[in-house]
Amino acid sequence: MIGLACLVGVPLYYIVVNTVKTQEEMARSPLALPTKLFLDNYQRVFETVPLGRSFLNTLILTVASILAMLFVGSTAAYAMAMRASRFNRFFGALLLLGFIVPGQSTLIPLYRMLVDAELVDTLRGLVVIYTGGSIFVYFLIQGYISRLPFEIIEAARIDGAGPFQIYWRIVLPLIRPILATVGVFQTMWIWNDFITPSVFLSSPEKQTLVMQVYRSVGEFSTDWPGFMTMSVIVLIPMVVFFILTQRHIVNGLLAGSVKS
Amino acid sequence: MAPAETSTEVSAGAGRPPRIRWARARETSANQLFLVPVALVFVVLLVVPLTQTFYWSFTDFTGYSAEVKFVGLSNYGKVLTDPSMLAGLGFTLAFTIGSAVLITVVAIPLAVVLNKKFFARNFVRSVFFFPAIPSIAILGLVWGYILSPLGSGVLNSVLESLFHAGPYPWLSDATLARVSVIVVAVWGGAGWHAMLYLAYLQSIPSDYYEVATIDGASARQQFFHITLPLLTPAIVISNFLLMTGGLKVYDLPYTLTKGGPGFATYTITQSIITSGVAQGRYGLASALAVLFTIAVGIVAVAQLWVSRRIERRVL
Repeated sequence: MIGLACLVGVPLYYIVVNTVKTQEEMARSPLALPTKLFLDNYQRVFETVPLGRSFLNTLILTVASILAMLFVGSTAAYAMAMRASRFNRFFGALLLLGFIVPGQSTLIPLYRMLVDAELVDTLRGLVVIYTGGSIFVYFLIQGYISRLPFEIIEAARIDGAGPFQIYWRIVLPLIRPILATVGVFQTMWIWNDFITPSVFLSSPEKQTLVMQVYRSVGEFSTDWPGFMTMSVIVLIPMVVFFILTQRHIVNGLLAGSVKS
Repeated sequence: MAPAETSTEVSAGAGRPPRIRWARARETSANQLFLVPVALVFVVLLVVPLTQTFYWSFTDFTGYSAEVKFVGLSNYGKVLTDPSMLAGLGFTLAFTIGSAVLITVVAIPLAVVLNKKFFARNFVRSVFFFPAIPSIAILGLVWGYILSPLGSGVLNSVLESLFHAGPYPWLSDATLARVSVIVVAVWGGAGWHAMLYLAYLQSIPSDYYEVATIDGASARQQFFHITLPLLTPAIVISNFLLMTGGLKVYDLPYTLTKGGPGFATYTITQSIITSGVAQGRYGLASALAVLFTIAVGIVAVAQLWVSRRIERRVL
């Protein structure tokens, strides 16, 4: 078993360990630990590729999109929970469409829409596109809300709290666990997404980290350690994020798979 | 929360003083306001573009000309005869089925083993799960270096130094390229799906295995007669995820091979993007998108139907 894990893990080890070796040492003993820490690769990558800029872009994009999605998804789930009228139930069923329809089938009209709105090739435009993910967020939150005790909300209502107060003061704090799970889940999607930025972004200074790696492949076509170093740098934020939120990720993966 | 609501609904109108009724009405409309954001998202990002796709699929729209002619079903006819689109369709189907079968065959035994107690279990689990964390696009690019068909590619140079074999055209031969893409997808997906199976395995009571052992069932028999049947719901979920994900595949083949050599690893999504966004063949791309939506829709509805039936049978 551990042998099999090594088979999967060795490529990873190989990549990481060779980023801190000289090209000559790498050729001589590819799997040995480095005799001396060699950081030129890292320095070279940071000099040739604007990774800091891309990191900021990705961060802004992810945070803004997640906030928008959580807002839209939680307000919708709240409204549905407060009032199960026939219209609302019908609308809820209609939203299932957002689950089934793949992003590719709306891609071309959305592209033209952003061109018309002069939002193409902007991070704002990308946030608009990602907000489409709120429908998925809505379904997960709605499932969670329906299992909460309704008495809490009834009590607040009798005490004279209006819908906005109930949403902000009572429901949002109560659904924090699912907000965290969904937020983490969607963060992984946006941070790692390739198709959306590759279609909607073109300016070099607006690229996300993933796109930056993709665009730099040509520059490192003969510089294997350089490319590996760049990949390792780009992977670090996601790995740190994973370690910090492991519990939520596994929950989210399972919730997402069971729900969809 | 839902059931309590219907009762207030009914009592809201009848037999109350007008003041309370009015307050109720105001509260109701305030509640409905909370649906506005999602309705906007739904209409602007889904209904409108979907209708446009559907409409364009019957026209010769190119994105520039103001004059748009209806061309009936001719776009659909072209989709089914255009060599690049057919290639995309073919590889996407091969990828979907190939990766789904292989991942299932690898992930179930992997989950069974990961469920046993052994040294450094959590670490080993993390290693297998790891490929699910970074972007598939980056994994594709890294594997592109590893599988590079040149003698300097990592795998080729390893094979050369160990067995004096190669260099093999991993990504430049049509069949090898297809196989490489699927193998990398299995490498990347097996751990994730094993975690899914693991979650279900942990809910199987250990008594079943104890009784079976006392009755003299071998490990093999236990696997085929206890584990596998009880994993059926997980197999269904995992495979439907693999099917819908497989039909939508784009990142991995694109970053690994760019769809090549030729159109060997071309995908439906790449077809839609290339012909729609880059070449302005909106009608054609839209027709393909409509067919694609229907295919994904059928898989999704089948998933709902099958998983409901399974739930009923298990409970």
